[in-house]
Amino acid sequence: MSVQASNKRQEEVGESQRGVLRPVEKRTITVAVAGNPNAGKSTLINAIAGTKLHVGNWPGVTVEKKEASFDYGGRRIKLVDLPGTYSLSPYTQEEIIARDYLVHERPDLIINVVDATNLERNLYLTVQLMELGIPVVMALNIYDEAEAKGYRIDVQGIEQMLGITVVPTSATRKSGLDELLQSVLATADDPAGHIPQQLNYGEDIEAAAQFMAESLHKSHPSLVDKYPKRWLLLKLMEGDGNLQKEVNIGQEALLDEALHHLKRAHGEDIEAVMADTRYSLASGLTREVLQKPELRKTELTEKIDRVVLNRFLGIPIFLAAMWITFKLTFDLSKPFSDWIGTMISGPFKRWAEALVGFIHAPDWTASLVTDGIISGVGNVLVFVPVIFAMMFFITFLEGSGYMARAAFVMDRAMHAIGLHGKSFIPMLLGFGCNVPAIYATRTLENQRDKTLTALLIPLMSCGARLPVYVVFIGAFFPSHAGTVLWSLYVMGIALAIMMGFIFKRTLFRGEAPMFIMELPPYRMPTFRSLMIHTWEKGKHFLIKAGTYILAFSVIAWFLLNLPWGVEHKKDSYLGQVGQVVAPALKPLGFGQWEAGSSLIAGLVAKEIVVGTMAEIYVKKDEDKKKEKPTFAEDLKEVGISFAKASKDSLANVVSTAGITSISADESAEKAAERNPLREELKKQYTPLGAYAFIVFVLLYIPCVVAIVAMVQELGSWKWFGVTFVYQMALAWGAAFIVYQGGRLLGLGG
Amino acid sequence: MNLAKLKPGEKGRITGIGAIGPLKRRLMDMGVLVGEEVKVIKVAPMGDPIEVFIKSYNLSLRKKEAEGIAVEVSE
Repeated sequence: MSVQASNKRQEEVGESQRGVLRPVEKRTITVAVAGNPNAGKSTLINAIAGTKLHVGNWPGVTVEKKEASFDYGGRRIKLVDLPGTYSLSPYTQEEIIARDYLVHERPDLIINVVDATNLERNLYLTVQLMELGIPVVMALNIYDEAEAKGYRIDVQGIEQMLGITVVPTSATRKSGLDELLQSVLATADDPAGHIPQQLNYGEDIEAAAQFMAESLHKSHPSLVDKYPKRWLLLKLMEGDGNLQKEVNIGQEALLDEALHHLKRAHGEDIEAVMADTRYSLASGLTREVLQKPELRKTELTEKIDRVVLNRFLGIPIFLAAMWITFKLTFDLSKPFSDWIGTMISGPFKRWAEALVGFIHAPDWTASLVTDGIISGVGNVLVFVPVIFAMMFFITFLEGSGYMARAAFVMDRAMHAIGLHGKSFIPMLLGFGCNVPAIYATRTLENQRDKTLTALLIPLMSCGARLPVYVVFIGAFFPSHAGTVLWSLYVMGIALAIMMGFIFKRTLFRGEAPMFIMELPPYRMPTFRSLMIHTWEKGKHFLIKAGTYILAFSVIAWFLLNLPWGVEHKKDSYLGQVGQVVAPALKPLGFGQWEAGSSLIAGLVAKEIVVGTMAEIYVKKDEDKKKEKPTFAEDLKEVGISFAKASKDSLANVVSTAGITSISADESAEKAAERNPLREELKKQYTPLGAYAFIVFVLLYIPCVVAIVAMVQELGSWKWFGVTFVYQMALAWGAAFIVYQGGRLLGLGG
Repeated sequence: MNLAKLKPGEKGRITGIGAIGPLKRRLMDMGVLVGEEVKVIKVAPMGDPIEVFIKSYNLSLRKKEAEGIAVEVSE
């Protein structure tokens, strides 16, 4: 691989020195796919590469990178999907990634995906891509829609004026794809014959560029070989900060002299002059090649928006859409998650036990395998259905164009706490489960928005915290259950708003990112594209997060069970740690070591707090007495319960219109079985201490899976550090205020 | 007169862009250029942001950003 890569680089250096591109023969043809957001780039790539697509991240950043290698016409083609951008300016992360790739990796050619229904703005990027001196093949996408609108586009006209091959395509109908790939091969075979035309940027700019080229040749001869020449000249003239830093040419005499005349004629702002020039080229071309019908029909998008973004209906419709998304994401996936959970802790554990018993492994090994590793695998797998469901609906919202509307409707409210309109959906998903919610922050383009949103998500009370509340509320506040439960959710939201304000003024000080967003036309995403995306992103989670989660689960097992053979849980490492932290929790009203140990165990998953307490407080022995089912019975059980899960999932979709929350009901049922625990809790805690405890459970750091998700999405452990510190402080502070404040008010202690 | 002051349905021609740095560049990249015709389509239900029609596509931006875009009302 690396040998090949270095060969390729050498070849290219040689090529550029001689100024000729040699035809690509046996080696892989590397094709960068560039285009505006909403130009149907993803759908096109999915249609071409399908399941060969591989999703990863661009090095060092958390922007998604999609690649696919496949054979076509006896050749190997490697597609690299660049982030969707409107320009190649050096401001957004996406733009920097795209231009760095194009300039430094030098793909063999660029497929420029252009939205045929929005020619002018898309051509603005095309003009910039042509500056790079890399052969460009244009996929004139969404061509069917443009035709349906009555647009007449002179395809040959574009080809002649730009000197590039243009292929009309429709990714959704899969038309034009073969022609596109044929053109890719033809272009790759004769790159020198397919260098895009050098567009004329007007006398003044060209004269300045000419002058610059001559002086650069003298002063920095090596640069001219390292960068695409025309791109280098234009970007330097534009005052591109990133490039200036890279090549070390700033406000030098060289630039001043070259720009002197230009500035006198057009004013100081050369960047604006360049943007203007590129846009005039794009609009001039559009005028030449595009004929629109005289009468414009009211478009479907306009009609939908009239309702969906209506002053009065906009918010109710938005909330309804969000509610349906939420319900579908969690109700659809829950039966499968439950099924996986039951299967792992039931049949699979029994099989593993049998296997370990068969090889006469010592007791502790058996426990490590079943309670540590298999439970850990279970911990990962139960998230799979919900992650897949979330990815599916988020991809749908984005692909259909509604996500932009959601941001438009909610921005005012979210902006008030320093967030972006698009932050609303991840925050909302947080009430179901923080993990998919954190993954959903990838819909936010700006790193600051994304980080801040992810930091606040853990304050949304997730479904796993509910069982803890239910047990404590059932034991201490049965007559005010609703109010107490409600108070916790509201407290989470209120503290998120407060933390939003605090973060906005401390860690995230400075200009809030801009909100300049296209509202694309509504389009129906293809089912194939949805499935591919969902699958690839889900797989990414499984592999990346799975490894960490498994490791944490094994560590948790060690804590819970070692030293091996302790009679009392108090003597296990977990019990010992519980005793260590207990004094710190005393002012909060729950200074028992049991509370501390349960909270630590709850890091694996918050609902485990209840399980651990039950284990510590209530001796159970019923498990041992049960007769073990046979292998065949187990197998049958796996199948039957999967069928039931599928049925429940479907039923949940149908009943989404209903008000009842299935998850809450079920947890309540489970909790009712834990009556002995309730009795024990009543002896151990005061009502005030109990309330402080559940407040602490609401606010303290999220489970390890959420932590892994956060580290993975934000690309560094630093933000986990921030979360850890602020959430611990918040949890301790809030519980302290509740307990001590309550005592002062005479609510008993 | 600036873009934030136009009401839905009103059109204007851009006469100047007051923004600087990344914001200005982003606006330019999105086709918000001096001389361009722009029409306000909608105001979001909560009063901000706004939706405009420019270069034959729909763009949304916050009022704060629109305030920096000087326009002269046309028609």
